[in-house]
Amino acid sequence: MKKTFTTATLAMIAGAIAAPALAQDITFWSWRQEDRAVYEELIDQFEAENEGINVSFEAFEAASYATVLSTALAGDQGPDAMMVRAYGAFETVAAGGYLMPLDAESIPGLDSFPAAALTAETLREDGKVYAVPFASQTMLVIYNKDIYDQLGLSVPQTKDELLANAKAIEDAGMFAFANGTATAWQNETIASALASSIVGPDFYAEISAGTTDFNDPRFIEGMKALQEYSEYFPDGFTGLDYASAQQLIASGLAAMFAGGSFELANIQSQNPDINLGVFAAPGVSADDPKLVGVFFDGGYAGNANTEHPEAVKKFLAFLASQEFAQQFANKLGNISPVPGVTLENPLLQDVATLNQSSVPYIFLTNFRFQEPSGSVLIQAEVQRMLAGESDPAAVGKAVTDGIAIYHEPFQK
Amino acid sequence: MSEAPDTQRGLLATFGRDGLMQIILIANSVLMLFPIVIMVFSGFKSNIEIFQSPFSIPDFTDLSNFTAMATQSNFLRYLFNSFFVTGVSIILILILGLMASYALGRYAFRGSAFVLLFFMAGLMLPLKLAIIPLFVLFRDLGFLNSHLSLVAVYVAMGLPSTIFIMTGFIRTLPRELEDAARMDGASEARIMWSIMLPLCRPAMVIAAIYNLVPIWNDFFFPLVFIQDDNLKTLPQGMTTFIGEFVTNWGVMFAGLTLAAAPITIVYIILSKQFINGMTSGAVK
Amino acid sequence: MTATPDTPAKGPRGWITGRGAWITFLLVPPLVVMTLFVIYPIVSALAYAFYDWNGLRREGFVGFENFRIILFEEPFASTTWQAFKHNIIVFASLMIVQNGVGFILAYCLWRDLWGARFHRVAVFLPVVLSTVIIGYLWKLFFHPIFGVVNQSLKAVGLDSLVQPWLGQSETALAALIFVNAWAWVGFPTLVFLAGLQRIPSELIDAARMETDSEWHLIRKIVWPLIAPSTTVVFILLFIGSFNWFELPYIMAGLDGSPFGSTDVLGLFFYRTAFGNQSAGVQDFGLGSALAVIMFLFIAIVATFWTLHLRKKELDL
Repeated sequence: MKKTFTTATLAMIAGAIAAPALAQDITFWSWRQEDRAVYEELIDQFEAENEGINVSFEAFEAASYATVLSTALAGDQGPDAMMVRAYGAFETVAAGGYLMPLDAESIPGLDSFPAAALTAETLREDGKVYAVPFASQTMLVIYNKDIYDQLGLSVPQTKDELLANAKAIEDAGMFAFANGTATAWQNETIASALASSIVGPDFYAEISAGTTDFNDPRFIEGMKALQEYSEYFPDGFTGLDYASAQQLIASGLAAMFAGGSFELANIQSQNPDINLGVFAAPGVSADDPKLVGVFFDGGYAGNANTEHPEAVKKFLAFLASQEFAQQFANKLGNISPVPGVTLENPLLQDVATLNQSSVPYIFLTNFRFQEPSGSVLIQAEVQRMLAGESDPAAVGKAVTDGIAIYHEPFQK
Repeated sequence: MSEAPDTQRGLLATFGRDGLMQIILIANSVLMLFPIVIMVFSGFKSNIEIFQSPFSIPDFTDLSNFTAMATQSNFLRYLFNSFFVTGVSIILILILGLMASYALGRYAFRGSAFVLLFFMAGLMLPLKLAIIPLFVLFRDLGFLNSHLSLVAVYVAMGLPSTIFIMTGFIRTLPRELEDAARMDGASEARIMWSIMLPLCRPAMVIAAIYNLVPIWNDFFFPLVFIQDDNLKTLPQGMTTFIGEFVTNWGVMFAGLTLAAAPITIVYIILSKQFINGMTSGAVK
Repeated sequence: MTATPDTPAKGPRGWITGRGAWITFLLVPPLVVMTLFVIYPIVSALAYAFYDWNGLRREGFVGFENFRIILFEEPFASTTWQAFKHNIIVFASLMIVQNGVGFILAYCLWRDLWGARFHRVAVFLPVVLSTVIIGYLWKLFFHPIFGVVNQSLKAVGLDSLVQPWLGQSETALAALIFVNAWAWVGFPTLVFLAGLQRIPSELIDAARMETDSEWHLIRKIVWPLIAPSTTVVFILLFIGSFNWFELPYIMAGLDGSPFGSTDVLGLFFYRTAFGNQSAGVQDFGLGSALAVIMFLFIAIVATFWTLHLRKKELDL
């Protein structure tokens, strides 16, 4: 009590001398330990523009962030502002009533964000947005441009061309694809990166609308293509884990890697000299739209029980501004959903261009809310199929049956 | 009596049998040590050398992988944390274990059988399965993300076996010295401290070693309780630095070698005590 | 309080209370630690299993609902039973491989041949190493392209045996069991050896006079005499096999890759209680129910089996 009183008095005196408002200290939690320096720089800019608000940035390890955050929030010790995940993982936090609902009034420009981005941070039961979405990730094919040039290959326009490229690379004594399936989640990224264009945009619209399921021949066709591509994965790829796959592409031993755009920075940091390009895996015919799978990583949210709601809203509005997003994109190499952001990095600009023709990374965006999550199912089933222990139709059936447990449109 | 040929046959059989046994033992020791040797050798190699000639003898003067591991990762920090947590836990286990065993082994009092049983119950209960309530308890106590959580769990895990080993030992100690001291009017605390404690040392060494290895190597509890990189112990920290150097096999092997080194060196020096200590729960 | 040798029948009055206080002083701290960090959590785990949980927050009492879901409702039921099956395979295989080889090695070491001390130290070395080190080491060794296992096979011309050991359902669990046996075989070896060394040599000499068969000697004389050691080794292996977590976590990941073929109850429990990036929920209620089931299973089987083995020991 006494201490609070003293602090308050001191703050009042200090406030009277230095600033018109009382100093407001807010904490901001993140799982991006590696981005600390840039965040602190951006926070300095915010503090310079908003005198009297002090933001302290605290970062935690990504793998345990969810547990740390939910523990803190449940114990009323949470941060004032924080990064939260998207979709199902976002809902577990938002559904507890811990987050501040946001709208265009408190966060100017929020309504001009792309709908898919806002959906990622919307609680389905009340339809409200609880976080400012901050970055998208894209599932595509990363390729080594030098190997492509050396072998005289060009970006494939059809599935057959991609297979022919892969064969040419293997014939030249290199690994065509670096991918392995030993790490479960890699199967989901590989499937989205390679099969989206074969499956086609209509299927994704229908699955979201609930008018079809994964037994759909279009989806099965995509799984078949995946099987064909896997012929050009390294020998023993079923025992090749994520780290080894990264190593094969980064070292230049392999020419292509089907996976997430977040790998670009990883690969380049392991081998700064590598010359990378990106493309969307093609469909069967050259006329089919070339699609990438896209999802949103997470968003910035405010604590519903913060002592300084106005300061938090100001801070969130700053995080949603183009001024912030532009630096966020260029300094941290992220693709921001904030309208009007341009990217200096040409490779990221290429990814952003591919994003204009995209489908959702469906098992995360639509089916990671309940058990068994679509992600767990597709990961295990693709792994099984590529190991030669099941077939494409069985993948569709197992995934549909698993999701049908809680998803009404799949129940017959 | 045809003893001579019999003995001869017996000798031959014995010789053949011993030869077979020796072969089995040598084959097994090769199988045990070969992976360890490959690990150490690979720590001195580059990726290319590991991939192309995995079995060759490396240039032992090239310490670059080891220096990379020691300087570019938090390895030394993890090592220090492991020393700290293990050390504090073992000391507390010995103090608390000695207190309980002394009371149980030296005095007869009502309910002592029940108290002993209470402690022994801990031998059979896998504390891992109580991780959820422990997590909630530590959250409420503010122990999460702090070494206190680990020390608390390790002491609780180590107490039953320590009390089991030490009570049995203390019971076998002779009464005469103690009685004489009591006649002289020494207090109970004084008797325990200056007369009995020195006699308990062998049992304390056994109990310390018995608990040392599982605590030093524990991975499960830090995985759940510790998030701050600066507080991680070696086994948990290993997952972090393996993640950082995942494409550089030489550095990974160097890291595994460094992580294995402290306990291996102590083990080789004190192998007899280690083997006695660690099998002591099973061999009464 | 009856007069036992260490309780002088009558002391000064103050001494009795002093003695009581002294014993209390000695016992209370360890009892508090045990109660707070062992008994309380285990009892709470039991209680938690009967509640509905929303993340980390406890909600209504739901009776046996969590148990019903984990055992009988899809998708949990099939995962539970499959994981349980794998635990049984692990236990049975380790009983044969780890304890079997352990006994053979102990028997060889018992002869105290030249170099026995060296072999003893060598076989026990992996036992003192962290499972994390062992897991990573063997994961690198089993690498399909660059791993020592496949490279060794190629080096000796067994190219046909080269395969992605950790990537196929037929070999992944077997590979993990092999690594576990490699790491732990020293433990049964040295416990058995200690048992063997306590057998009086006259007994063995006498038996040798009667039979020429080594097998007969082992079966009828040696094995029964080391029964107390085998009881402890078997029970510890049983508890360890049904708590198996670290090795599959490091080598196969939280999902028990590939497609659940190395999934065991320990991994499933951790996934359910603390979540997994690819899963939808984290549920303390279901996790606690699973923990209670595992706990009861281990405790009941271990108790009855111990009693059974001890009874056999006495019969012999």
